[in-house]
Amino acid sequence: MAQQHIFSGELIDEATLTLEDLARACSVDTDWVVERIESGLLADGSPYVASWRFTSRDLTRARRLCQLERDFEAAPELAALATDLIEENQRLRERLRAAGLFDN
Amino acid sequence: MEFKDYYQVLGVSKTASADEIKKAYRKLARKFHPDVSKEPEAEQRMQEINEAKAVLSDPEKRLAYDQLAQQYRSGQDFQPPPDWDTGFEFSGRGFEEADLGEFSDFFANLFGQGGRAGRGGRGYQMRGEDRHAKINIDLADAFHGSSRAITLQVPQVDAQGRVVSREHTLNVRIPKGVKAGQHIRLSGQGSPGLGGGPAGDLFLEIHFTPDSQYRVEGRDVYQRVPVTPWEAALGANIEIPTPSGAVKIKVPAGSQTGRRLRLKGRGIPGPEPGDLYVELEVVLPPADTDKARELYKTMADELAFDPRQRRGG
Repeated sequence: MAQQHIFSGELIDEATLTLEDLARACSVDTDWVVERIESGLLADGSPYVASWRFTSRDLTRARRLCQLERDFEAAPELAALATDLIEENQRLRERLRAAGLFDN
Repeated sequence: MEFKDYYQVLGVSKTASADEIKKAYRKLARKFHPDVSKEPEAEQRMQEINEAKAVLSDPEKRLAYDQLAQQYRSGQDFQPPPDWDTGFEFSGRGFEEADLGEFSDFFANLFGQGGRAGRGGRGYQMRGEDRHAKINIDLADAFHGSSRAITLQVPQVDAQGRVVSREHTLNVRIPKGVKAGQHIRLSGQGSPGLGGGPAGDLFLEIHFTPDSQYRVEGRDVYQRVPVTPWEAALGANIEIPTPSGAVKIKVPAGSQTGRRLRLKGRGIPGPEPGDLYVELEVVLPPADTDKARELYKTMADELAFDPRQRRGG
């Protein structure tokens, strides 16, 4: 029989995920996340660990960094550079699409 | 379950050196990385490639796999023989836990929770992995909220300690105001925990189904609206469909194709709702009757209009 229950999730918007949440969602240690924040590769680089909270965007970025580092054995800085370019490319594509100039 | 030929996946020979395997992997990872690849099913290929590399780049796993592979061909039906891994000690945690949810049943059975890890360590408790999935929703869902049924493959350990994959359908509420790229977290809907540990969470990344009528940037929505030449020239009140329902808008006199009208706060709702941009597109009636041709002729005779002269200044 079809399950009728409807799950209500939590919308990850501004400042929702904790450091532990983010690390777990990427299957990495919290140290991995901390190192990348402290090197300015992830989030806004705020030095106040206790107040760290992460958004949907941070989650997407952290997972991408993690995959690039793993798949190519890339140095974190190189993975971040590739991620910057991918994000920039996506932003521009989104703008082109919104302007009706890009149908893909 | 099908036997997987990991050598075939990476396109290397069975005698390939560690260096050759690494090279082949990197080449394929470059080709199929979902962020940059334009290949169809890039994500799925990338998973296979990662899985093959996880086994073949680990000397212990490769040795165990090679012994097993002597008896099987790719695609052949396969059940791991009992205690097939006796005599092998798989060290190096890490990917077993990290990627199990993303790897195939075949892999999970040989190297994952259902294999050795599941049988070792009594009283060992671990939280289940978080899982990730992308879902496409319609733009209207973001305006009104809705619920969506999503089906996921969930690996589970059966009574014999084998990993089997089960289809799991969840009805998920899509909250009003959701944007593309945002995540919805469903607590406890990720992979099951080990030894009574809690289940992980499920993260759903939201995307909009491409729509020929609307385009979206953040919370702003763009829509092209066709108008007649007289509506554009003389101005008119027209009714248009929008994602939040039909609205009346005023087309200002003297409008041209490309003129953009902003309807403030009529984009995707939220703490800071987006705007709806209406782009006018003047459409000419066809000159396919005598009457229509006559009207165009009258305009040509009586209107002193040369668009090229204006452009030249």
